[in-house]
Amino acid sequence: MDRRHFVKLCAGSALATLLARQTPAFSGEIKTFPAATLVDAHGDPLKASRASPQEAMVFAYPFAGIPCFLINFGSHGAKTQALTAPDGTSYTSPAPVGPERNLVAFVAICTHQMSHPTPDASVIHYASAATATADQPGRIVCCAHHSVFDPASGGAKVSGPAPSPLLPVQLACDAETGVLQATGTVDVEFFERFFDDFKEDLIDRFGPGGYRKPVGGMTKAVLLSEYSRVVADC
Amino acid sequence: MNDDLSPERRQFLKIGGALLAAAPMVAAAPAVFAAGGKGPASERSAKGVKGVLTGHWANLPKAKGPRLVVVGGGTSGLSVAKYAKKDNPRLDVVLVEYRDMYSSCFCSNLWYPDIINLEFLAKHSFLDAAKNNHYTYFNATCIGLDRDSKIVATSEGDIRYDYVCIAPGIAYDWEKIGIDDIETQTRMRQEYPPGFIDPTEHVTIKRKVDTFEGGTWIQTVPTGNYRCLPAPYERACLIASVIKHKGLKGKVIILDGNPEITIKAPGFHAAFKDFYKGIIEWMPSTRVAGVDLDKKIIHGEVEDFAFDEATIYPNVRASTLIEKLGLMAPTSKTAQKEADIDIRFYNLVGDEHVYVSGDARPMPYSKSGNTSNSEGHFVGHIIAMRSQGKDVKKWESPETLCYSMVNAYPQQAIWVDTHYGYDAKKDAITGFADVKVDNTPSEKNAPAYLAWGRGMYRDMFRA
Repeated sequence: MDRRHFVKLCAGSALATLLARQTPAFSGEIKTFPAATLVDAHGDPLKASRASPQEAMVFAYPFAGIPCFLINFGSHGAKTQALTAPDGTSYTSPAPVGPERNLVAFVAICTHQMSHPTPDASVIHYASAATATADQPGRIVCCAHHSVFDPASGGAKVSGPAPSPLLPVQLACDAETGVLQATGTVDVEFFERFFDDFKEDLIDRFGPGGYRKPVGGMTKAVLLSEYSRVVADC
Repeated sequence: MNDDLSPERRQFLKIGGALLAAAPMVAAAPAVFAAGGKGPASERSAKGVKGVLTGHWANLPKAKGPRLVVVGGGTSGLSVAKYAKKDNPRLDVVLVEYRDMYSSCFCSNLWYPDIINLEFLAKHSFLDAAKNNHYTYFNATCIGLDRDSKIVATSEGDIRYDYVCIAPGIAYDWEKIGIDDIETQTRMRQEYPPGFIDPTEHVTIKRKVDTFEGGTWIQTVPTGNYRCLPAPYERACLIASVIKHKGLKGKVIILDGNPEITIKAPGFHAAFKDFYKGIIEWMPSTRVAGVDLDKKIIHGEVEDFAFDEATIYPNVRASTLIEKLGLMAPTSKTAQKEADIDIRFYNLVGDEHVYVSGDARPMPYSKSGNTSNSEGHFVGHIIAMRSQGKDVKKWESPETLCYSMVNAYPQQAIWVDTHYGYDAKKDAITGFADVKVDNTPSEKNAPAYLAWGRGMYRDMFRA
């Protein structure tokens, strides 16, 4: 399926069309990368209906070393808004996708000090219920320095020291099959800083240069609690 | 020599150079302290040699913009240097630091039971910090300040400044725990380092923990606003954890000068009770009144305590540099010899070109890594704005997020996160505000603690 057709299917409903007009899904603001279909542990396409409302799912995009969160924020009211990336790029947060319009994705690297999920541990997580740090349910919380983000508002910062929102990952969803694809993001410079700052760890995990490789046409999505041995829950 | 020199100054340098050639630099240093405003160096300035303190200029390129000299390469100085430059790229920032290798005080307790290794604390280069953040690291010791001429004197020569930020940290105040003779103070520094200032203290304590074969380890807790409130309790837990893990016949006695655990009390009480029953003995309101190092006895105000090993934490005061540079607040403003600065905007009272940040501040903030790091962002911003002729009107509270590892096997941590309040009518910091806390020891908090530390190293040393 080519991307134009995929998008057409995703924007099938009148509401989606309206949203797409208000917040252009593929504006120049979001940098498109080759689309990657989210797949489960067996390699089968991940459908929107299987996105957990309890915790984030982790997938790599657009490069093997960039962890992202797929989040089902449930029934919290969503809004798109104008946001600014760490490199100063202004963008409009992508509209949620899926039958319930409650699926979003972000680069799972805190824009404060770049804490991110690894197989050992993740100190950044989606909290479907309120926590000691996030007094509202449905927040993304980084326990390293207590930055809190709202996935239903484009990943905008709610509180804490982070200077920028979480970077968005644009999703597309096949209206007929519910299959999800990642199609773009913003601020490639941020990825370069991340690669540079965590190069030793990334080389250990992915081999020299392996973390820079594009994910290809498919990217595996797993629950955060399966991806990381320990998940902080502040 | 890289600065413009008047004929008079050239003449002085010629003479001064000869003098310095005849006498070691350290011999010249005492006369240099506290120049500007008062004292003998200032009088010397009035006689026509104004501005030249050590007799030569530091070997630095000519400033390419307004020069900010940051004295001190700890958490505060590194943060101020980075964020001042970030907020005003025209600033020519020089970080003066006497150490030639960094090692972190925050997180150092985690090394003792091998939760982390020394690389975690020390694999952070001043050179990389300076390169990544576009300032200059200058390996020298600050030995003087002339505020009239705007010159910082260092062991490697004078540096002219437009703005200077002094971030020297703390010193131990042995006299407050009854150790007032220099012989015992010297032995205490060398034989029983508290482990809250210099990296070499951490190395000694690490060796002591690794070689402890049992018996009584005493950890003392001072009164006052000491550096890192939970650290002595955390250290007691981690040493007890090692004792338990190795099956040693040993215990940790905490002699606490305070009536209650000073922070995260429910979490530490839970750890003492649930993890270390019979191993940790916590004794509140037990102030240290002296020591007998030969007999290995700590004198309390009421009774004596024998020990096999000890980490004796005296009260703290601001670094002696603050006093030597003539920046100390009157005793009516500080009980710990801290700097006389504007409590909102950090400039020396009456001088907006001189700032003091970090643990030498007089405000009642927790003297901890996260406080100095978050505060450093703000102080850097203030200097950046003022160096562009802009004013900063809004005070910003530092943030103190502080994890404590209360168990090493398995790793379990607790935390508190607080800001501070300011009362404009009283012009006073009112204490903790917006406090969040997790006093339940949890394995899920342990990786967050490590990420907290890594994040601050990243902030200070990376772009």
